[in-house]
Amino acid sequence: MRGQAIFDVPLSERTTGYDIAAVLDAESKTVTGDMTAWWVNRSAIPVDHALLHLYLNAFSSNKSSFASSGRWSPAGDEGWGYVRINQMSDQYGNDLTMTMHHIAPDDGNINDRTVLQIDLPQPVQPGDTLKLNILFESKLPSPIVRTGFNKDYFWVAQWFPKFGVYETAGMRQRESDGWNCHQFHPNSEFYSNHSVYNVSVTIPSDYVAGSGGQLVEEIDNGDGTRKIRWRAEDIVDFAWTAWPGYKVVRDKWRGVDITFLTSEKGLEIADNQINAVKNGLEYLDARVGPYPWPHLTFVDPPMEGAGAGGMEYTTIFTSAGSGMIPPFLKMAEMVSIHEFGHAYFMGILASNEFEEPWLDEGVNSYWEERILDHYYGGGYGIIRLPFIKFSDADMARTSYIGSPSRQAATNDLPSWLYPHGTYGMMSYQKAATWLHTLEGIISTETMDNVFREYYRRWAFKHPSGKDFIETVNDVVTEEHGEKFGNDMNWFFDQVLYGTEICDYRVSGVTSRKITGYSGIADGDSVTFTRSDRKSDTLYLARVGIERIGGMMLPVEVLVSFDNGDEVIEEWDGKERFRDFEYTGTRKVTRVIIDPDNKIDLDINRINNSWTDDPQFTASGRMMTKFVFLMQMMISLFTI
Amino acid sequence: MDYIRILKRGAAAAATSYRLIIIMWLTALMMVLLVALPLKRILKGVFDRSLATERMLDGFDAGLVGDMGQSFGYLFGAATIGGLLLMLTGFLLFTFFAGGLFTRFAAAYGDLNVASFMKASARNFFPFLILALLMTLIIFAWTALIIGVPVGIMAAVTDGAMTGSNLMRIPFLIWALGMPLWLLVADHSRRWMAATGSGKVFRAMGAGFGSLKRKFLRSYGAMLTVMIVNLLFFGAALWIAAWSVPERGGMIFLFFLSTQLMFLIRLLLKSWRYAVVSELALLPA
Repeated sequence: MRGQAIFDVPLSERTTGYDIAAVLDAESKTVTGDMTAWWVNRSAIPVDHALLHLYLNAFSSNKSSFASSGRWSPAGDEGWGYVRINQMSDQYGNDLTMTMHHIAPDDGNINDRTVLQIDLPQPVQPGDTLKLNILFESKLPSPIVRTGFNKDYFWVAQWFPKFGVYETAGMRQRESDGWNCHQFHPNSEFYSNHSVYNVSVTIPSDYVAGSGGQLVEEIDNGDGTRKIRWRAEDIVDFAWTAWPGYKVVRDKWRGVDITFLTSEKGLEIADNQINAVKNGLEYLDARVGPYPWPHLTFVDPPMEGAGAGGMEYTTIFTSAGSGMIPPFLKMAEMVSIHEFGHAYFMGILASNEFEEPWLDEGVNSYWEERILDHYYGGGYGIIRLPFIKFSDADMARTSYIGSPSRQAATNDLPSWLYPHGTYGMMSYQKAATWLHTLEGIISTETMDNVFREYYRRWAFKHPSGKDFIETVNDVVTEEHGEKFGNDMNWFFDQVLYGTEICDYRVSGVTSRKITGYSGIADGDSVTFTRSDRKSDTLYLARVGIERIGGMMLPVEVLVSFDNGDEVIEEWDGKERFRDFEYTGTRKVTRVIIDPDNKIDLDINRINNSWTDDPQFTASGRMMTKFVFLMQMMISLFTI
Repeated sequence: MDYIRILKRGAAAAATSYRLIIIMWLTALMMVLLVALPLKRILKGVFDRSLATERMLDGFDAGLVGDMGQSFGYLFGAATIGGLLLMLTGFLLFTFFAGGLFTRFAAAYGDLNVASFMKASARNFFPFLILALLMTLIIFAWTALIIGVPVGIMAAVTDGAMTGSNLMRIPFLIWALGMPLWLLVADHSRRWMAATGSGKVFRAMGAGFGSLKRKFLRSYGAMLTVMIVNLLFFGAALWIAAWSVPERGGMIFLFFLSTQLMFLIRLLLKSWRYAVVSELALLPA
């Protein structure tokens, strides 16, 4: 079971592993499984119980923590889902069925049955292995939310009983040893050990299937079914899918076999989708670390499987759109790149998404935005047409700065504790926006080095947010010395652990003629004299800058003068205001705070600049278009 | 060759009505400017002396929406409400002018002077308005029946999988081929009212259906041709306007003139349709 069929040397500790023989009953929408799962006690103390995820039980009752959130309700009686353990024993033959009971460590909801505790008859000693033999039946839910079925479409994810993560003291700043196994929440799903999977699935012969594993063999059973066996190593979850309508497209990127499952309609954009994933591979491989697996499968679900869209299981993930999105809008590419990116941020760097969703979704969104804006639209990755443009980074920023709840919570909350619908905005968009800001402050090169180091230190382990910050501090100090202080904690204290907003503005600009005196200008040097007919006119120019928001970030201020001179002022941004004065023969014509747009967190960039010669050509053009559009529409709708 | 002759005669009639069409254009322009100019003022107020307007120079940077904050909401709201009001008043205005145009084409007076045009427009306004509302309702119902129902059924049966398929082009094709019929009924009816001076809407519609029935092939062919020309021009004009990104003041003024010229042509082409139907009415059954 622990054979190294794919890698010569294991990439991870391989604390857990699963051997599963499953059969899909396409009529009853169930998967029955015979599983052997093993877990190695890598702690220094005996462990007397084990915790397992039973994700599908989130769909067994409308009182589960997942369903009671209102995010899912069954499509009729057939829509309920569950995972039922029919038999469980350990390697010594002890029947564990009677020692099983459900717990709800996150919210105490007694109706939530997504975490199972097994009290072991004999503790697992340090270094020993616990083997569980389990017969289970998984009824898939409908409609599909991350997992489930719709008619003959099956997206089989989070479908088998799965170990939580046993954390030892010190790991992720934990004070004592213990299991980390959260309930299934609407907003998060992953925290798992890197595991070895040997999975065989029996499906009707006319179904096309794919998974996150490498194909080992495919056997026609001769009874209208066939058995497919996959193996996967060092991945954190195993999902698979089956549908008679899948079309299969294969490609290769360096040593990685790419399999794309899509619908007939989705075939039209197969090249775009595959290129998007190749772009992701190329970009992250160069800037973060190598993609280690020799295979990946991704799926563009058909409309009937749309609920499975936008999900990630490391070596299998889903895109979205089913070929229905117009090609000038790069949303399908965006989803593909994002979900592929999770192979790194969650798959390789297996952080705890339940507790620190920003470290998974936020970091991954940041990279998705970089990739999309790099490869598409010349910096405007989402859409780039002559009359409109939108970068992916700006789309995230807009979501954050435009949210009235942007200060409702800090960015370090567990996924299920974000208040009133702020999870997505905070975990994805705010986090990505402050990561762009961090990149702006420390430079792109240093940022890339931070992630290379983060990968080097934490690949196939379980990093925490503090581990990431420590990496940032080490790399920034090494590359920039004390330019930004002893460490970058001041940054994270504000963006991650604080709720303040960032907003700088140009409060006023004046260029006042100095009367009574004149000066002879020689470059920046001015010699004052009493009125002299041949002297230059002197000006006292004042540029006022204010910090409106509570967040304090260093900013640059570009001041331009009418003689073509430009001055870049650096301000630590800590005081509430700062005035810059210039005496000379030149008048100020333009002021721009943060001229290179490094501070994405600034919630209003319109007030970041001032000019003595405002241009309204763009608004004139927009109004001309508005007038014409209205005229044409009136003529169209009047018969 | 009746068909070509009718198209030509209609074009000549529309072209010689250029003064009336200029009146329509000017009125429509002033009406739209009543909404557009305040919107432009609001936009200027939002940006004030900021350099952020540079982000709109080569196309609108949608990232500005977040920076504009609540101002964007106000601006968007004002533009939406203003747009809806314009659609409503525009509907009334163009229905009004249709009364004058059909009188000009139906009576074969030659060109009407402005006073007569206005008088005819005013005389026909209410019956034309009722007819326009009825025909608009019929066209909405036609659209819902031919496109809405099949798409809805298809989406429900296939969970949306078939809504983008080639199969769904069939309802759109049927809808498009049916549209000339409704426009023919509307135009024949209005021509009948303008020619007889009657304000009886349902009788006019009866006459409209009757004309269509009697001269179906010639009517349908001519209307289909006129509609295709109108639609091609409409699409091309919008495409040109959307993709034009003039960046300097002078260029923007030229752009403004170009769009207005295109709108004038659009009005001319629509008048051509009215004139062609009026010519069709003169044909023997």
